[in-house]
Amino acid sequence: MREQPSNTGETGGTDRVRLSCVVNGEKVSALVEPHLTLLSFLRQELKLLGVKEGCGEGECGACTVIMNGNAVNSCLTLALEAEGARILTVEGLSNGGGLSALQEEFVKHDALQCGFCTPGMLMSARALLDRNPDPGTEEIKEAVAGNLCRCTGYYPILEAITAAAKREREGEQR
Amino acid sequence: MVGSFDYLRPQSLAEALEFLHKQPETCRVLAGGTDLLVLIRRSVASPAHLLDIKALPETGRFEYTLGEGLLIGAAVTVNRLAESPLVREKYPALADAAGALATYQVRNRATLVGNICNASPGSDLAPALLVFEARVRVKSLNGSREIPIDEFFTGVKKTVLKPDELVTEVFLPDPGEGDKSVYLKQGRVKGHDLAVAGVAVRLTGSKKLCLAVSALAPAPLRLRHLEEMLNAVGFDAVTAEKAALEVEHFIRPISDIRASAEYRKHIAAALLKRAIRHCEGGGKSA
Repeated sequence: MREQPSNTGETGGTDRVRLSCVVNGEKVSALVEPHLTLLSFLRQELKLLGVKEGCGEGECGACTVIMNGNAVNSCLTLALEAEGARILTVEGLSNGGGLSALQEEFVKHDALQCGFCTPGMLMSARALLDRNPDPGTEEIKEAVAGNLCRCTGYYPILEAITAAAKREREGEQR
Repeated sequence: MVGSFDYLRPQSLAEALEFLHKQPETCRVLAGGTDLLVLIRRSVASPAHLLDIKALPETGRFEYTLGEGLLIGAAVTVNRLAESPLVREKYPALADAAGALATYQVRNRATLVGNICNASPGSDLAPALLVFEARVRVKSLNGSREIPIDEFFTGVKKTVLKPDELVTEVFLPDPGEGDKSVYLKQGRVKGHDLAVAGVAVRLTGSKKLCLAVSALAPAPLRLRHLEEMLNAVGFDAVTAEKAALEVEHFIRPISDIRASAEYRKHIAAALLKRAIRHCEGGGKSA
């Protein structure tokens, strides 16, 4: 178990509360301030810097993580709402240090340029493939419509997710 | 997050109501948080306490009883509605509206009850609730009451709720056999956007029309007078045309960043006609 002291640098007059959850398969326990978002907790406390803050208001999807199997905006979730939850971030996608099939397909299809949206995009895609291993183009579009990308024009992303779904269906490890 | 508040997650309704009773002015109820946390971030809201109602057993209820209706607890997420085969079958306008709200990630957190308590004039879910004549069930330490949804909204971001009251659930009566409904939304873009206009139409088994709109008045609105006008002559081949022609007299749209009042009147007519034709045509995809 990882014990984390809380040192957020944010001001707030309220008492810290104990939070226990599972992040990328590892039990985590920390004292957090009630106003800390899940996004800030993951970045500042756990140093999971793959989780990005874009708009901070649920518009851009850069902060998307998977909480109890559901893609959510970590900027619109309080850390304390994750009590007892299982959280998956982009850092938890790889297998033993290597990239997952989904990540490899993003690379292969040039589905990223600046890369800022990529972790959130990957988590929305991961959640989609977990609930639907064979999504159609419209379903993929709907699943990532909450993830803004200002570089690629989206088509390489749709192609990468389609290709990854196919590889996973053919029995390849994620 | 800007702001400083403490966070309470009561395990029982009694505990939650007791707290709301003691701190009615400084406490905000937290369901999905997708509206409230944005307001806090922007310093529009600055509650001293957030009362998370998601651990209350009552708020997780999502139960349909044939011949009675559907009960939707205050913690039930919008995606739960969007993905429910039962909602799709019995309350298609609600399924449409749930699927049209914000983004997939937001819908995984946002709740139906949170959406109506936020009382945005552009609420996607309200028009569907209005045509199904939903009832909002409310509790406080002083008792409980049931509010018909068309008496719930009182203005922009305003409802009849008192500060010590908690909405525990919304109840939708069973629409019965032969009921058709649809919700159509016009945004500026195909993706994630607030409604320029939203229109819900329901044609009951006995061919009675129910109409409701969002983003076309200070609050989500049931178009009762227009309904009466149309229902008085009975449903026929020209009902859709007539509704489209008359609707502008029953709405009060404004011009804002998303559209002009004039365009809203135009699109309201177009959506209404399309939605009525959809119900007329057997309620298959709009």
